[in-house]
Amino acid sequence: MQTILDIIFSVVLGLHLLMILVAAWHTWTGENSAVRLAGLDLASTLTTAVLVIVGIISGNSLFLDVAIVTALLGYLATVTIAKFISDQKVF
Amino acid sequence: MLLYLSSLLVLFVIYLMLTGNGSLSNLVLGLIVAAIISLLMPKNTPMLVRIDRLPRYLWAGLQYAVVVIWDVIRGGISTARIVLDPKLPLKPGIVAIPYGKKSELGSAFSAHAITLSPGELVIEIDSEGNMYTHALNVDETLAAAEAGQAKRTRLLDVMFDS
Amino acid sequence: METVQQIIAIVLLVLGTFLSLVGVIGFIRLPDVYTRLHATGKVSVFGLVFLLIAASILTPLTAWKGILLIFFVLLGSPAISHSIASAAYKAGVPLVNTKRDDLKSKLERGSGKDV
Repeated sequence: MQTILDIIFSVVLGLHLLMILVAAWHTWTGENSAVRLAGLDLASTLTTAVLVIVGIISGNSLFLDVAIVTALLGYLATVTIAKFISDQKVF
Repeated sequence: MLLYLSSLLVLFVIYLMLTGNGSLSNLVLGLIVAAIISLLMPKNTPMLVRIDRLPRYLWAGLQYAVVVIWDVIRGGISTARIVLDPKLPLKPGIVAIPYGKKSELGSAFSAHAITLSPGELVIEIDSEGNMYTHALNVDETLAAAEAGQAKRTRLLDVMFDS
Repeated sequence: METVQQIIAIVLLVLGTFLSLVGVIGFIRLPDVYTRLHATGKVSVFGLVFLLIAASILTPLTAWKGILLIFFVLLGSPAISHSIASAAYKAGVPLVNTKRDDLKSKLERGSGKDV
């Protein structure tokens, strides 16, 4: 049972890291700034997911605190950059 | 005063969920932190939630959550089917879904429910209360919009209007 | 009991990863920003929430934090989708292959240039 669990955890973690790479590639080569921002938001969401998976694997609840902070900071950053794209100013 | 107490309660509950231990010193510390943050709130914040409607909020809110979760699951399945189809059968477009001139909180919740289900995305709300919704499949959204919006509007009216 | 919990959590973990994968595939395949935002919304609404439920089941110590994060994600992800879509529409990002556009007559589009 334990080895099967380990294999499943490794596969899930690897797939998420691969998806972060895809999101980063689209952030790099997006055709306009809105696509880049969507890619950045996707990468931020997947980073939160990776932190949750690492928390499950290590059994340490501290990682979930870090995940909460990452989610909230990613939310603020995305909304601020979106407002900058639409209005050309932040405040 | 009521505003201060309710924000203190919400912040205290969030603090307890974050720390997750119920010792006396932790409870006192959480109460102090919640009180300080509530004091920093601006004085003339409007109170949108009314305490005397609490039983209504609980009952109608539960039904509303079931309706929204069902919508989200259905939208997720249809979006996954579109994405995994090799031919990519897209019919994107922007559709106006009417909601009507009602309370701000009600229209915010309605827009939140529409955007939460994958496949529909509110872009703009005009002054008459029309929600301009971007949809992956225009025909499906137009067919389902009327009934779904009526179901949600009834529950939101119970909670925030009337 | 322990085994049943583990099996439920593993099923949720695999399901969440699969749905995230579907969302990222959609992000690659779909043509423009507005349709791509549906796919990214799928990643946060299904993938992350299923992972968090699995985490709450597997380690009971983190259950409350998981529920709090589910609440934040469900509250925040529509706001992110809406703000990106609204910004793109105001900046004049074109819609690819549209069937109808009810908003066009209502709103003054941007200068049309890429920002």
